Amino acid sequence: MSTLLSLKKVNLNYQAGKASIKVLQDITLKTNNKETISIVGESGSGKTSLIMLIGGLEKATSGTIFFQDYEITRLSEDEVSNIRRKHIGIIFQSFYLIPNYTAVENVALTLELNKFNNPQKQAKELLDRFGLKHRFNNLPSQLSGGEQQRVAIARSIALKPELILADEPTGNLDSENSKMIADILFNYVKDEGTSLIMVTHDVKLANRAKRKIKIKDGKIV
Amino acid sequence: MVKLFKSIELSLIIKYALRDLSRNYKKISSIIITLFISLFILSSILTIEDSLKKELNDNAKALLGGDLEIDYNRTKGNQELIKQVTTFATVSQMIEFSTMLSTTGRDNNKSLFTRIKTVDAKYPLYGEVKYKPEGALTRIHQEKNTILVNENIFKTLKLAINDSIKVQNQLFTVVGVISAVPDVSGFVTFGDFAMAGAQTLELLQLNNLGSFLNHEYKVRFNEQDNPNVITARIENLFKGDSKVTLRYPENSASGLKRVINNFSQFLSLVSISAMLIAGIGIANTLLSFINQNNMSIAVQKALGFFSLNIKAIYYLQLLILLLIISIIAYGLSFFLVPIANLYLSQALGLNITAVFSLINFIKIFLVGLLVLVIFSIPTINAIDQVQASNLFRNVFQNVQFYYSKKSIFLSLVLLAVLMLLFTIGSARPAYSIGYFGAFFSCLLIFFLLSKFIIYCLKKLNISSNISLQTSIKNITQAKSITPITIMSLGLGVTLLLTLALVGTNFKREIAKSIPEIAPDYFFLGIQNNDLDIFKSNIIKMDNSVDLEVVPIVSSAIVKINGIDPNSYITASNDSYWVISRERRSSWVDSPPVDNPIIDGTWWDLTKPNRLQISLDAKVAKDLNIKLGDTFTLNIYGREIEGDIVNFRLVNYRDLSINFAMLFNPQYANTIPHEYLATAKFKDVSKFNESAMLELLPSLSIIKIADYLSKVTAILNKVFIAVTLISAITIVIGLIVISSAIIVQGKIKEFQNLVFKILGFSKKEVILSSLIEFVIIFCSVILIAVLFAVIGSRFIMQTIFDLVWKFDVTILFYLASSIGLITLLLIMLTNLKYLNPKVYPLIRNQ
Repeated sequence: MSTLLSLKKVNLNYQAGKASIKVLQDITLKTNNKETISIVGESGSGKTSLIMLIGGLEKATSGTIFFQDYEITRLSEDEVSNIRRKHIGIIFQSFYLIPNYTAVENVALTLELNKFNNPQKQAKELLDRFGLKHRFNNLPSQLSGGEQQRVAIARSIALKPELILADEPTGNLDSENSKMIADILFNYVKDEGTSLIMVTHDVKLANRAKRKIKIKDGKIV
Repeated sequence: MVKLFKSIELSLIIKYALRDLSRNYKKISSIIITLFISLFILSSILTIEDSLKKELNDNAKALLGGDLEIDYNRTKGNQELIKQVTTFATVSQMIEFSTMLSTTGRDNNKSLFTRIKTVDAKYPLYGEVKYKPEGALTRIHQEKNTILVNENIFKTLKLAINDSIKVQNQLFTVVGVISAVPDVSGFVTFGDFAMAGAQTLELLQLNNLGSFLNHEYKVRFNEQDNPNVITARIENLFKGDSKVTLRYPENSASGLKRVINNFSQFLSLVSISAMLIAGIGIANTLLSFINQNNMSIAVQKALGFFSLNIKAIYYLQLLILLLIISIIAYGLSFFLVPIANLYLSQALGLNITAVFSLINFIKIFLVGLLVLVIFSIPTINAIDQVQASNLFRNVFQNVQFYYSKKSIFLSLVLLAVLMLLFTIGSARPAYSIGYFGAFFSCLLIFFLLSKFIIYCLKKLNISSNISLQTSIKNITQAKSITPITIMSLGLGVTLLLTLALVGTNFKREIAKSIPEIAPDYFFLGIQNNDLDIFKSNIIKMDNSVDLEVVPIVSSAIVKINGIDPNSYITASNDSYWVISRERRSSWVDSPPVDNPIIDGTWWDLTKPNRLQISLDAKVAKDLNIKLGDTFTLNIYGREIEGDIVNFRLVNYRDLSINFAMLFNPQYANTIPHEYLATAKFKDVSKFNESAMLELLPSLSIIKIADYLSKVTAILNKVFIAVTLISAITIVIGLIVISSAIIVQGKIKEFQNLVFKILGFSKKEVILSSLIEFVIIFCSVILIAVLFAVIGSRFIMQTIFDLVWKFDVTILFYLASSIGLITLLLIMLTNLKYLNPKVYPLIRNQ
């Protein structure tokens, strides 16, 4: 299996006034294609910061991060955006659907952005696959939490990305909806051969990943 | 932009922009309203101005009365040359004069100083005369002693068709009423007029200066002839005749065009002020809109949108909005043209219709675009502050206006372009620049005032009153709307107060000039042998009369230092009137009390045989005349050279006897002349106009009060228009303030929630808003009054050369009305934040 992601001696510091807070320290990590990884750890340990660095949403203070052949630590914000657009899907705990876009429009957004043919049709097929046929033209405010997260997953996988980053994907859901979302996610990565890096507090969910990484005080333990 | 097209199709940006706009237009309603109001004002001004100019240009021949006009002024002219013109073109002779027109056979006969037009049967060569009843125009040519009068004379003298009226000592039958004539360019726009047949001239004595006699020959070319060739032929025919003035259609109504240009420039400047104030509101609303969309922007970034793409979507939404609003505003301005036409057809006899002008539309769109871009640069740049990483943290900080060196530079360049757009091509570019200078100085001072208030309040240590403490905190907090409120309210109030002060000063000046300075009557056309009869009769009526009699002579300046002034002084020169045609001049032994000499010396008595001229100092300045320069004057066909020996400060507005040129009496007494008189009666009712006209039928009498009431009526209409536009500026200012409050809405809601939790009463919250308002409004009003005083004083004293006085009543009424409305608006906007729902807020929903 080829390497998808490579982090070498990555550090992330935040400046709080004159003090510097070390969020991540010397993170070195390699992941392969089609690998599923869960990142666990206590609140404030640096889990979310790590996937933010991997997704290019935060700049590392030092160290290098390679995504495939791209050294994202050296790329500009727009260049990282371009990689994210084509290769990475992100799922958030709070879903973050665009409030004034319908379910179909939210999913079609990434397809349109990447000039796919007939984005609306593809978006509908995806939503249909996740059991949301009856919700195509509903706004996010008209959907339940589970439905919103299914739309968010559909949006993140619409481009068939090589990597899905998920930050507490079931954190805002009840146990029934959590199970359903976990099934959808893991079935999808299995079927499509996509890599998944997921931050979670849910032990059951974490255990479904092939590899588990524990972070404590900004370090992989 | 290359990156933009590489990464995302323009069509996609358009699609997102349209989609977002169709779903979010309610959130940006204040942008739509302010943009619409300000563009509508500008559109209306441009559309009415254009419609008027088009009417004047399209009907230039009708306004002039022909393809060309041969003007001989007071003399009949060279009939041989006129006869030659009739061989290749149609010529219509017209003679205009002023005289008294009186009712007859009544207990209280009334008189009016009227301009009468005698026309031949060929009149009008272009356009049509509107009159009733049918056939009345033919009757004045066929029947002797018949006359048509305008609607105002008909009403004022309470006439009926076939009534008799007296013109000098002749009885005329009123055969009809004229509602409009085509050739208005020669008329005093608000004067009364009548029309009679050509034979009328033989019946009247019209050789005196008071008749303001004018001989004109209107020429219409044959249709098959080349107008340029015929024009050149006529010019060639008359080139040796120094008494003639040739006029062309393009010169028609030049005075009216100047008035239109000046007025529309002034209104345009007021409208751009409204637009710039609206710009502040647009920036606010847009910032609030971006903050509301903070999460969506972060999601778009997380999905791989570039910042530039997102900004392009926002700019495009504004562009689409602007295009739609510009079209609607420009389209709706066409509906104002018929309303304007109601006044204009009455006042000027013009019939205007709305005219579509692509250039005007582009100008309106461009002005809107510049204002939008200038004010949205720092707002849309704030999109860069939105981070996709916020989505993981679930924390959305409100973005702030973002100024970079590049964006400040760009904004300044665009602002300069906007100013140039209103300056280049305007009637008085210097006034435009001055106005913009004053506007931005006011803006800066109001901004500094807001900072000063914040600074002072921060230093204040008050712990006794919780409402006061809260209001001070609101004013001084980091994201306070104080600067925006002070700037937008300050500018609007300053504009309104300045115009109100100018308006009241104008009205007062006009009203007070009647009793204090001006005489009650002007008497024109007093002949040498009638002078004693005139004087004794006036004194007989009122022996306490203040009577002033001066000799007058008519002269035309044909050369200045040996050169024809018309060859280098254009009609746009303020003092063109002095050289454009014959003017009345007088002579006196000693300098007039109200005309002090400011340069040079009074008459040189050692040169009694040389004409010496005392000139109005402003005329001298405008025409670039120096002491010692020479004028060649044409007086009764004789060319006489005179030296300029002094300059006087002449104030024509005092309505006493004033002349641009005065001659040395030693020389001028030898010139044939007549007299002009003014009379100020102790008891004006003692003066009997009809009795005076019985005695001296050729005398012309002008009642100053009548003349002034017409001027006041026009000024009143002008000030209604001006006040209306400045009131709209205030409305825009108020919308800006409410938009600023909405920007603060979320913070205010949280603040009120905390207050609620802490046990604040609604009364205390309202009281804190009230104190906040009082602090801001009191400081704004003080500075606004100061600026209004400086501005109105400058306008009255420097521009109009009139007395300025402070009017506390009008300022008090206006300031309290604006204050009350603003307070009401602030309270209403804050009302919805008074009852925050606890649950959604504490759950961050």
